[in-house]
Amino acid sequence: MGDLLKLFNFKLLIYFVSALGLLYIVYPFTSIVIFIDIENTIKSIQRPELVDALVLSIVTASISTAIVILFGIPLAYFLSRYDFPGKSLLFIIVIIPLVLPPLASGALLLGVFNPNSGISNLFPEVDFTQSTIGIILAQTYVASPFMILTSMAAFGTIDRTLENIARILGKRNWQVFVQITLPLAKKGILIGIVMTWVRAIGELGATLMLAYNPHTLSIQIYEDNAIGGLSYAIPSIILSIILSMILVVVYTTLIKKFDTRNLSRSQVFNFDNIRRHD
Amino acid sequence: MYLKIVNVTKIYPGFKLGPINLTLDHNQVLVLIGATGSGKSTLLNITTGLIKPDTGSIYVDDIDITRLPIESRKIGYLTQKPSLFPHMNVYKNIVFGLKKRVEKDLELKIRSLVEAFELAHLLDKSIDMLSGGEMQKVALARMLVLEPKIMLMDEPLAHLDNMTRIKLRMDLRRLLKEKKILGLYVTHFEDDVYALADSVAILKDGLIIKSDTLKTLLSLKNNNVSDIENPMYEVFQNDHNYLEGRVIESKQGLATFLAGEHKIEILGEFPIGSVVGIMIKPEDIILTLDMIKTSARNSMKLMIVKMENSVSDKIGVIDVQLASQSFLLRSKITVESKNYLRLKEGQIINAIFKATTPHVIRNEPMPYYDVKEEKNGGNILTNP
Repeated sequence: MGDLLKLFNFKLLIYFVSALGLLYIVYPFTSIVIFIDIENTIKSIQRPELVDALVLSIVTASISTAIVILFGIPLAYFLSRYDFPGKSLLFIIVIIPLVLPPLASGALLLGVFNPNSGISNLFPEVDFTQSTIGIILAQTYVASPFMILTSMAAFGTIDRTLENIARILGKRNWQVFVQITLPLAKKGILIGIVMTWVRAIGELGATLMLAYNPHTLSIQIYEDNAIGGLSYAIPSIILSIILSMILVVVYTTLIKKFDTRNLSRSQVFNFDNIRRHD
Repeated sequence: MYLKIVNVTKIYPGFKLGPINLTLDHNQVLVLIGATGSGKSTLLNITTGLIKPDTGSIYVDDIDITRLPIESRKIGYLTQKPSLFPHMNVYKNIVFGLKKRVEKDLELKIRSLVEAFELAHLLDKSIDMLSGGEMQKVALARMLVLEPKIMLMDEPLAHLDNMTRIKLRMDLRRLLKEKKILGLYVTHFEDDVYALADSVAILKDGLIIKSDTLKTLLSLKNNNVSDIENPMYEVFQNDHNYLEGRVIESKQGLATFLAGEHKIEILGEFPIGSVVGIMIKPEDIILTLDMIKTSARNSMKLMIVKMENSVSDKIGVIDVQLASQSFLLRSKITVESKNYLRLKEGQIINAIFKATTPHVIRNEPMPYYDVKEEKNGGNILTNP
């Protein structure tokens, strides 16, 4: 009886804490209801600068994600497959953008890409700051750890025997990578891609420092709020909420799809229950 | 075609493999036995190129392949787990190692392999749908389609149930012989030796302590009264009875073969003149003082050469070694039975077992040693 009571109390506690957590996440959305002026919102959601900001965010986040894929996946493969001195130091360097405050990352990037920097002098016709390139630089920098870490984890879970067998079957290293390693790491890599994209879309701090103009959606929310208060920022917030919803649906669909598949596979490959009969 | 391993060593913290010297030729199957941790898998991995040896060389037909990349060695390899590619169906797994275009004549080869392994109905199945035996067949077909001249096998049947294992093992030996593939098979199971080997090498603590033809090792086993002098006892302390001989009669599901001077009846039909090998557990041999009428089809008069307390069993079990002119048979009985029958060394006694008891683990047109001796009079194994 005492045990039952304890269990009941524990369950109640979990419900209570979960409810508090949910309330904390959901409550800010009520501000939309309080501050929304529907007529004004519909009108201002069509403001050209808002539409431009939305398009710019989607385009830059996509380009940044593509760039991160190009260098992130090989880097993740390198870190997960090869042993060399200083590997753990390199790992720390790779995750620095994840733990560094985005404003600090932006400041570091500004140090490298400001108009008087060496790189800017090397490419005088390229605008690294206050430009689309600046936005992409900021996004790739802060979002790269998501791609690298998830891909590393994905490469780490692959049974190395499969890669070895592929080589014994006559495939070269790059063929093994393309035909075996990448397809088997697909789940982790896809999740990494979605997370990188989400991070790039939401990016504000580093972009503030490096490329305040042209405005991404995040910068637009920041500026609208600064100029006209929350009610003025509501339309851009609604746009970002819609975008987030789409991303969440994509993300959960991907995870569900792969999880069900992996479940059946792990059941089949569990040899530990099979014993010789003699 | 030959595979030659010369002075190969590999040192790990706390373990040294080698120097290993081993030669395989004339399409023979060499079974490498040894306890867990004796270095069997390391030696296979060095041969495939997955592990680099510290010293020594590996030759295939005079070509030094020691520094050759894995993919250029053209050596087949079967691992303990089938290691099929989970993101491909059965067909794609089988043709994975082929070049991009599957030519017409190749398609015929694939089809004949698929039919030999009874995989035709599974080709478009995902590999999650296969049983353990089917998976290992796909893994074998995936290697054989590349027509390797050498096949390395690291206990590929260990995870299968007994019946599947016996069947697949017989298929494996038949295929290796048909396709003239040199086989190096690693195991720590005694029956694998009798079922697959032309010759045997025994690895202990990183060194090959004995290597010879199965025939020689069997005669050593049968003639040695002391277990310790029997090299196979080093690995398989609880050894089974293995008998082989030519089939002289086969009808209505019952076959008779000659093991030395004794006729032995077993279940199954086999080609007359072919050689069968059977395995019987010592505990399945019943000893009687008089000739009695029983349902058991096999009864033979043998002499008790040795009786001792069983090392590998519980207290109260006696190992009895019985000898005929040409083979040794082991039986396990309780102390009570020994006392009841008043058994003594040197006594002649009847050993009986049913035709349904033995497992047939080998069947081939000719004895392996005849094939070898016809082709090659010399010693096929070198041991430093």
